[in-house]
Amino acid sequence: MLLSLMIIPLVAAALVPLVSKRQVPWVALFGTLAAMVPAGSVLTSVNWTAAGTQRLEERYGAWLPDLGIALNLRVDGVSLALVLLTALLGPLCVLGSWTAITQRVRTYYGWLLVLQAAMYGVFMSQDLVIFYICFEFTLVPMFVLISLFGSTNRKAAAIKFFLYTFTGSIIALAGLVYVAWFHATQMSAAPVVASVVNAATGASESAGALAKVSAWTFDIPTLMKTAQQMPLSAQSWVFLAMMLGFAVKVPLFPLHTWLPLAHTEAPTAGSVVLAGVLLKLGTFAIYTFGIGFTPMAAVEYAPVVAGLAVAGILVGGLICWVQTDVKKLVAYSSVAHLGFCMLGMFAMNAAGLQGSLLYMINHGLSTGALFLCIGFMYERYHTRSMHEIGGLAKRMPIWATFMVFFSMASVGLPGLNGFVSEFLCVMGAYQAEPTKELSGLTGGNLGWKYAVLAGVGMIIGAIYILYMVGKVVWGPLKEPHHDDAHGANGHAGAHAGGHHEGALPADLTGREIVTLLPLAVLCLGLGVYPKPLMQVLEPSVNDHVRLTSKARAELRELKGLPAEDRAIYLKNQFPGKGAEGGTGGEGEKKQAEPAKSTGDFTETGK
Amino acid sequence: MQLVDTVMSLLSLATMGASDAALAGGAASAHQLGAEPTKMGPLALLIPLLPLLSVVLITLCAVFKVKSKLPAWITVASLATAFGVTVSVWQQVSATPGAHVSFGYEWISFSWGNGVGQSFAGNFSLYIDQLTCYWMLFVTGLGALIALYASEYMSHDVGPGYNRFFTAFSLFVFSMACLVMGDNLLMLFLGWEGVGLCSYLLIGYFYQKPVAVDAAKKAFVVNRIGDLGLLMGLLTTFAVFGTIEYKEIFKAISTGYTSSGIALQGHWSGIVIPALLTAGAFGKSAQLFFYVWLPDAMEGPTPVSALIHAATMVTAGVYLIARMFPLYTVDPNLLVLSGVAWAGAITAFWAATIAMAQFDIKRIMGYSTISQLGFMFAGLGVLTTTGATFHVLTHAFFKATLFLCCGAVMHGFAGQLDLRKLSGVMWMKGWGIVGVAMLIGCLNLAGFAFTAGFFSKDMILAQAFVTPDTKIIGSSLVGWLLLLTALLTAYYTFRVFFRVFVGPVQYEPGDEHHGADDHGHGHGDHGHGHGAAHAPAHDKGHGHGHDGHGHGHGGEFHPHAPGWAINFVLAVLAVASIAAAGLYFVNKDEHGWAGHMMARSSAKFVAPGEHHGDHAAAGHTAPTDEKVADAAHASAGEKSAKDEELGTFLGQDPHKVMYYVSGVLGLIGIGVAFLLHKQGRTQAATSPLAEKMLKAPIFGTLAPHAQRKWYVDEIYNFLIRVPLLVLGHIFHIIDKLFVDGLVNLAGAVPVFTGHSLRSSQSGVMHRYAAGMAVGVGLVLLLAVLVMI
Repeated sequence: MLLSLMIIPLVAAALVPLVSKRQVPWVALFGTLAAMVPAGSVLTSVNWTAAGTQRLEERYGAWLPDLGIALNLRVDGVSLALVLLTALLGPLCVLGSWTAITQRVRTYYGWLLVLQAAMYGVFMSQDLVIFYICFEFTLVPMFVLISLFGSTNRKAAAIKFFLYTFTGSIIALAGLVYVAWFHATQMSAAPVVASVVNAATGASESAGALAKVSAWTFDIPTLMKTAQQMPLSAQSWVFLAMMLGFAVKVPLFPLHTWLPLAHTEAPTAGSVVLAGVLLKLGTFAIYTFGIGFTPMAAVEYAPVVAGLAVAGILVGGLICWVQTDVKKLVAYSSVAHLGFCMLGMFAMNAAGLQGSLLYMINHGLSTGALFLCIGFMYERYHTRSMHEIGGLAKRMPIWATFMVFFSMASVGLPGLNGFVSEFLCVMGAYQAEPTKELSGLTGGNLGWKYAVLAGVGMIIGAIYILYMVGKVVWGPLKEPHHDDAHGANGHAGAHAGGHHEGALPADLTGREIVTLLPLAVLCLGLGVYPKPLMQVLEPSVNDHVRLTSKARAELRELKGLPAEDRAIYLKNQFPGKGAEGGTGGEGEKKQAEPAKSTGDFTETGK
Repeated sequence: MQLVDTVMSLLSLATMGASDAALAGGAASAHQLGAEPTKMGPLALLIPLLPLLSVVLITLCAVFKVKSKLPAWITVASLATAFGVTVSVWQQVSATPGAHVSFGYEWISFSWGNGVGQSFAGNFSLYIDQLTCYWMLFVTGLGALIALYASEYMSHDVGPGYNRFFTAFSLFVFSMACLVMGDNLLMLFLGWEGVGLCSYLLIGYFYQKPVAVDAAKKAFVVNRIGDLGLLMGLLTTFAVFGTIEYKEIFKAISTGYTSSGIALQGHWSGIVIPALLTAGAFGKSAQLFFYVWLPDAMEGPTPVSALIHAATMVTAGVYLIARMFPLYTVDPNLLVLSGVAWAGAITAFWAATIAMAQFDIKRIMGYSTISQLGFMFAGLGVLTTTGATFHVLTHAFFKATLFLCCGAVMHGFAGQLDLRKLSGVMWMKGWGIVGVAMLIGCLNLAGFAFTAGFFSKDMILAQAFVTPDTKIIGSSLVGWLLLLTALLTAYYTFRVFFRVFVGPVQYEPGDEHHGADDHGHGHGDHGHGHGAAHAPAHDKGHGHGHDGHGHGHGGEFHPHAPGWAINFVLAVLAVASIAAAGLYFVNKDEHGWAGHMMARSSAKFVAPGEHHGDHAAAGHTAPTDEKVADAAHASAGEKSAKDEELGTFLGQDPHKVMYYVSGVLGLIGIGVAFLLHKQGRTQAATSPLAEKMLKAPIFGTLAPHAQRKWYVDEIYNFLIRVPLLVLGHIFHIIDKLFVDGLVNLAGAVPVFTGHSLRSSQSGVMHRYAAGMAVGVGLVLLLAVLVMI
């Protein structure tokens, strides 16, 4: 079932050269739609909202047994959400490109399908090598899509994109290989340690892998357990390597400079996939490996990463505000948005991680939709410059409705999806105060300052998005001069006009509405009732919370700091202060011996 | 003195009948803060859901391209039903003491452990006490009336624009219901930003006008700045209390300890949380630094200005503070409330000075709204939640009346709003109701004796002098500032009335054809279409007016008088504005109906530290009647529980003399306006005396600056917007240089041609690799810096 997710797009891609040019988009559409079937059955075959970690695992045996490389696929809550997002965006990308791509359709749709398969592979792979192959392989289709189907500056953009991200992932690979090497050397040298580790962490299925004679393995759960045993220094290096690689993909400020160009130059579907899924490869990898493999280093350097994330939110947002190219504006907004995602992730508490994971999905929906909207506009006017177009609400009311709707989702308006994730990320950052002196705090090494700065980013978000909406959607109607004939079209109906885009009416067609509608429904649905998705993500989030709080405790021990449990913390800080009498509250809170000392603490510690 | 008492007792007799059974039923019950709220059926959920249903239905109308007034009727019907439901919920709530909760569903709720403060509950649930009912009664009631008014007012735009308008209108009421009825701060935030969105959409309704678009953007962004405060307040509340649900917060305050055992007495959160929430309240209610968006918001259609930017949304800040009042009184020094009082008084005065010099009558009303909101905040600050909320109610009625009258004028005179170009409107045929309603509204706003506005303003003024300066810093100064403002208010209000509504009949039409959403076929077409479509519905003069109106600048212009819907709504509102005065005499022992309601809600004022003691002494037993009376008194602050030194007004009891002082001030203001703007005026222009005044040294120099709004917008632009833009440009340039420029400077690579793949391969790869290296280097540097 999981493998078929990858095979179906590949089969469709193989069919592309065999059918007539006219049929190619249909093949791509059916290929991507067919992939939704296994994706849907993954969703229904497991009760994902049940308590405990739910997962679906499929093993297809060893690929290179000597090196311990095996084709194992697994879907848990997090990858399920991302797989579903990929499956959803697939057909929408095809529909969105229907009329935009008229040349070299075979190349276009073929690579689009291959890209789908590679993205599924990244999210499902349980083997580091397979993961890495898929991760890198997404570059090739994307490179082709940008360099052949992009706009004027496409070649430079494609090369920049390729080199930047490729260089990044090579560094990440070095880190990942080190982990495998560490496993191979450490585990063969000291198998006892391995079994101890195993027993201690209560591993289940990976126990078999450890017991094998060959110490080389790339099984991710196995490596994860080993990697977590690495000393802080080793973890730090591995973490740094991984961050350099994956943060480029995210992109984390200041490694984001490839993104605006790539986004702007890419064809619509390329931008949608890029924003919707490809950026999430980076965040997904950081979530899985950056935190999963090296939790101690992640805890240690969380302020650095979160600081960069906040810088991205603010700088990215301000840069958005001075753009004149609509698409570039949305592209830069991704830098700001992914900043929120990273901030939440490195808060490393329930709220932050939930928010971060939700952000991956929500950003894919709302920004993907914005790119589609802009693509539809571009098809009609052949410009994205806010100097040349404006007030399109008059000409394209349906389009304008969608545009405003998705802008609001992007701004993080409560009731739409963006808010849930943005709020949780900011809340997570707030709660991650270094001390747990207050009950609502979870401990960590961020704090309210990060939350306030990110909150300022929310204001800037409103400024630039409304700036864009105010220019493009509202205001007096402004259309490019050379398209006068088309303007007349809009007035009279859809008859005259010699341009090939003359086939498109002034406002959105049924196909385009069908493309945007699922995204709108999801934006609203996930904003109004995010609970099911949050439940799906919860087990993984809880695992990570446990992992990082354990790492934090170890780190404190390493540094000789007192443990940060609230009661202990207060006792250490204010010994003997809890004896004073007081009529504090109801009986149930009477066990709060430390509770009273809290009162004292807050008075004295102010 | 005796005269006043006699009149008052007469009035109170007259309105006694109006006080209904629900009031009597609730008389014996008091609000015990922190008591477990009663669970309630889903009936109350209908109040937000009905407008939401209306949103869905009108969206369907839009999808099926309905070109009739159906959306308006859907809105009116749903809001009227919602009003009915609110009344019935209110009856239900009054029957049992304390707050009620009605659970909807889990919105953003999750947990990360079983301990205290380890779960977050942001549910879609309702918290209903008398404060909720009080607010929702006028939100839904006024909403229905103004929707009816708008059905006629917006009739020029029947079609897509009409659908859009009423979708946003219904969505607004839904959001407002979430804001007021939510049982936690997150749901309040949902409503808070939701009303912001609707405000944005409706201010920008005439989206082809760049001013309207800019005004909409400004409103949203300025509100967002305040919202940041609210959001941080929410998060801090969660950090301290481990919950954001009102009932839990109130429970903690009443016991003096949070559920995790933090003593609230003297805790920093007692100042920080209210201060943050107040920032949010200031944003939404256009106070202090945040007021700049509201005057611009007058670009929206007038029904919107009446409902959103006068009666309901902008009072959300007052609601927030009233709702969280227990939190504000945790701090024994009441520092934040002192700040609120001062902010309110300064805003009231400041906005009034600007209002005096404006020429656009809608702008004047806009500034006057800011000023009146200032009164409400000052009221909250000087500890009379009753006065503040009563003023909210009376203001909602009379300001809605005033706006809708302005709207009728604007509608009839092709968008003319300049008071220099209109005169004697009241004497024109068909404008009688508008004129009378305007007069009633103006009297209320000016605080003319025995009007509703007089009583509500009086409560705040008197309380400012009663509350000792030791409790609220400079409380009596706040009172003096407010008195001065009251004088200015009476003047600028009647400046509008004397110039526009009375005097010689003369007018100059505006140049605006209404809205023109999606029918930009030019003026002639527009008028034509209207004449044809609506001829049967209107009387003879009306059709004429439309034609002339459509052709605009051309031939002779005939103002068209309002139709039945506008007249009906104006009549109802004018009557309601008068009748609201009666509410002052209902439940007189509890300082009027508002006092009665507030005493049974979280808005009840309990002196700092009393929550805890009160609770400890009374436990959970039902309070005695004596206690109720005590609480009511405390709520109005007339008698403090302790024998504190009460403030006086020039040695007199403020409650006794304030009637006379403010009544006389109102008359003086009206008199001055009469002299300057009515006396000797023979045409729609400045009267001789006013001409002379403008040449006088002080007024002559100040007035033009006040007319330019004291340049606040320019200052903000210069101090905030421009630097941020410059920063954005700088970042953008750095961003470009980061990859391309730095490497270019190094001179390592030849100039990029960008056209052939070959040349880019040889050059660009190199450069991007170098750019990458620079980026990596910077990260490493940062990492090292932080580690050190």
